[in-house]
Amino acid sequence: MSRNLVALIRRHHEQGAPTALEVLKIALEDHGEITDDDRRLASERSGLPEAAVHGVSTFYDDLLAPRGRRHVRVCTGTACFAATAGDHVTALSEGLGCALGARSDDGEVSLAETVCLGFCHSSPAVRDGETIDAGAGVVERVLAGTTSAAAEPTPLSVLDLPVLLAPAHDWIGLRYAVSTRGPESLLEEIKAAEVRGRGGAGFPAGAKWEFARRAEGERKFIVANGDEGDPGSYIDKLLMEDHPSLLLEGMALAGYAVGADHGFVLTRSEYPHSKPELELAATTARAAGILGPAVLGSRFSFDVTILEGAGSYVVGEETALLACIEGLRGTVSSRPPFPAQRGLYGMPTVVNNVETLCNIPMIARDGAQAYRELSPASATSGTKLVCFNERFRRPGVYEVCFGTTMGELCLELAGGLVDGHEIKALQIGGPLGGLLPGWKLDTPFDFEALATEGCMLGHGSIVAFDETTDMRALAVHLLHFGAAESCGKCFPCRIGLRRAHEMFLGTTPVRRDCLEALLETLELGSLCAHGGGMPAPIRSLLAHFPEELGLT
Amino acid sequence: MTLTIDIDGTETEVAPGTTVLEAVRAIGGYVPTLCFDERLDAFGACRVCMVGIEGLTVPVAACTTLCRDGMRVDTRDETALRVAAATVELVLSELPGPPAQHTELAVVANALGVDGGELRWPGEQHEHVHDERHPYLALQHELCISCGRCVRACDEVQGAFALTATGRGFGSNIAAGLDEGFRESACVSCGACADTCPTDAITELTLLALDSEEASGAL
Repeated sequence: MSRNLVALIRRHHEQGAPTALEVLKIALEDHGEITDDDRRLASERSGLPEAAVHGVSTFYDDLLAPRGRRHVRVCTGTACFAATAGDHVTALSEGLGCALGARSDDGEVSLAETVCLGFCHSSPAVRDGETIDAGAGVVERVLAGTTSAAAEPTPLSVLDLPVLLAPAHDWIGLRYAVSTRGPESLLEEIKAAEVRGRGGAGFPAGAKWEFARRAEGERKFIVANGDEGDPGSYIDKLLMEDHPSLLLEGMALAGYAVGADHGFVLTRSEYPHSKPELELAATTARAAGILGPAVLGSRFSFDVTILEGAGSYVVGEETALLACIEGLRGTVSSRPPFPAQRGLYGMPTVVNNVETLCNIPMIARDGAQAYRELSPASATSGTKLVCFNERFRRPGVYEVCFGTTMGELCLELAGGLVDGHEIKALQIGGPLGGLLPGWKLDTPFDFEALATEGCMLGHGSIVAFDETTDMRALAVHLLHFGAAESCGKCFPCRIGLRRAHEMFLGTTPVRRDCLEALLETLELGSLCAHGGGMPAPIRSLLAHFPEELGLT
Repeated sequence: MTLTIDIDGTETEVAPGTTVLEAVRAIGGYVPTLCFDERLDAFGACRVCMVGIEGLTVPVAACTTLCRDGMRVDTRDETALRVAAATVELVLSELPGPPAQHTELAVVANALGVDGGELRWPGEQHEHVHDERHPYLALQHELCISCGRCVRACDEVQGAFALTATGRGFGSNIAAGLDEGFRESACVSCGACADTCPTDAITELTLLALDSEEASGAL
């Protein structure tokens, strides 16, 4: 990330100026496209040079898709693929008379691809204007103009006293922290609790906090990563929309422990309700004296800003996330420097996943010991939210214990698949996770056990493919996503994912030796986990379903 | 305080904060690079400067890896060189033809033994778009490999901020200003971008070339 650009926009930010991305998004909402005048205005208001604004306006999906008077966004996430093999996209495009990514000649309607709307429990999903409809008959309803907001299943915790899905939220952890315990003591408690990051990498949260606490900086920031881009995952969506104050408490606790007085949440534009729900919760908390200049009457000051992204998977990577919050292109930066040393606007910054931060209030309230004991069958502390796709009989978000087997989760909790279908394979933890074949459901749901099978816990989404899934089509689906979402910074990912996708397109046999050499280049050469991780499910397909891939 | 590191069997002392690439170059060693320019901050994009480090199972990019005391660096590590060569092969596959022999890309491809003959991963190439609206600077977009050197030179050396990366993924490229060409942008015609470009995507039109084109009526 350019230090000069950050210095330029930081001065504007400190004066309360919007970011270039915010100005561009407002222009788009206002008149459906972005003009050079909009770019000049964004440059003037944000302090970002015109060329850099142009770069931003060509990076994010939302800013690129042409908009008709009626803008339809069709979900092409992995759960929607598992449900229809992509048929809903074709049907919608033909029915609307509009190609994917295009606007009709008369400007009446436009159809854009979106990944993913987080309605994986009721795939396929379509956003028609502001309404997200999903499930059987959705294409017909869009074509008839009779869409209505899809319902969401009730989440369920396996615990008697849910940690992440508690029906009522108190602020006891924060109250106790700011009134009677010091920041160092809270930090020690979080370290003792051994909280591993829930966003995918599993890095210890306490260690991250400690780096930021010890770092030099005139200000420090807490950033909640709400850019839950994994197709198939709608866990953070639930937390941000139904438990927003739990997240705000986790952020305030992080701020107290680290010495930060401000936090940012980056939500996704694919989840239109997240930002308003968080803003409402923040307003309520400010009115109650919980957020603001004297948190719960203490000398600790903490407030939050809620920002929304504009369509980019890689923005979920922490350095790209910070760039997006600053209104820049959401590309990855090499580390060091780590965000804890030089993060948002050059200041020491803690970046934690939304769910990770939602674990913090319970630890602050009940202590590290109680937290470590939540998953008796596992060495991993705490509980985890998982979510299931529409292929299951009882899809939804569940709070579960680490160490439960995949079979218990999929067959008992989620009830197995609908209509007597069989689990051919599961993709766990997002698009960078390997595939677990249906005959390995005895694998425990835990960091190390899944890694042994070439899979990962990731963020906890569980997408089932049934026996009708064509595994070569799945490879095309995954690699299309991988190539489309590459930020374009590092060469192996920028070119390699495109080439991998091209290899599987059509019916030409795929040379296995060439494919494996390409996968190795991606795995070892890529700058971030996107290029490094996209080969994992392809490796699984090679290991478990080679006969379906058309290899030579 | 200095750190002692070993590069291909040669011990050397470096100051804390020195990158592996800087240390290798300081003793006269060679690691190929494409996105690196010593006048600019390390970027870590091209992944061609891969080296092996004793104790690590995977190679690392030398330009963004800091030296640690006791580190043992292997610039001839087989896996590192295989990944670097494959990456350069990918780069050649996105270009319309072999790189001009005087370019850094050609030098690096030769050093890694990538001849550009039969490519393992052929595929789509960049669209042929030439921008010659500026009197001295020409842009050939199909030759851009998105190394970011021109954008960073404009930012870090000249402070003009006239250039940007555009698009994303395989569609990434560069633009001046609001894609209006150098002339209408904040460009001050310093030529730092053309000077650093490793592929001729940005070149300075010489007066000689201008003369001959004018003579032939091409301009």
